[in-house]
Amino acid sequence: MSSKGTPTFVIQRATAVLLIPLAAWFMIGIVSNLGAEPAVAREWIENPLNAIPLAAFVIIAAWHMRIGMGEIIIDYIHSWMKDVLLFLNWIAALGLISAAVYALYAIYFVS
Amino acid sequence: MAQGALSDKPLSPHLQIWRFTVTMAASITHRGTGVVLYGGTALLAGWLLAIGMNAPIYSAIAGFVNSPIGFIVIAGYIWSLCFHLFNGLRHLYWDAGRGFAVGMAKMTAWLVYLAATILAIIIIWAGMISKGVS
Repeated sequence: MSSKGTPTFVIQRATAVLLIPLAAWFMIGIVSNLGAEPAVAREWIENPLNAIPLAAFVIIAAWHMRIGMGEIIIDYIHSWMKDVLLFLNWIAALGLISAAVYALYAIYFVS
Repeated sequence: MAQGALSDKPLSPHLQIWRFTVTMAASITHRGTGVVLYGGTALLAGWLLAIGMNAPIYSAIAGFVNSPIGFIVIAGYIWSLCFHLFNGLRHLYWDAGRGFAVGMAKMTAWLVYLAATILAIIIIWAGMISKGVS
């Protein structure tokens, strides 16, 4: 595990830098669509200029989240539960990415 | 932890030992907002899935978002993202080896709270205007 410290540190910073413009764009774009009619929200997401940054935001944020939550788990959990939680944390990140990418695919190509 | 009592090695002070400072508050808030954003991103994925699958649950989600409790949840999420964004910039500045002086670190911690609150208010306000709610 210790040998992975430096790449993880670098990935956490690299994703942080990428998330600066994406998060700023995301907040401005999403707030006005959150409570909107489905058709209005769909129209916003169907535009590739929104769909592509949205996919990038979810994927990069999920990886940043996985590393951050992993640090919290390692800090506070010292029993055998640590490895279980770290594994679930991976599953959660991969599940979030899969669900969001599938949803964007379905919005653009299906129905 | 518990093993500390069994060994001769010194323990670092626990949380409740520290005197309150804005820098420690910002550090704790950074971690707390990170956890909030973890949940928020899960909600975002759920919202996208509801739209993509034409799920009947979408109208329930939209109803929740437009309710007073939904407003508090969204506003909390937006403030958390603003705080994590600005304090993340502060961390990157530290990574560059700068900004460690005590006075500087305290000032930037206050600045992060202030900037996050201002940006969150602007974004929520702009969102309400574009929805025609205000």
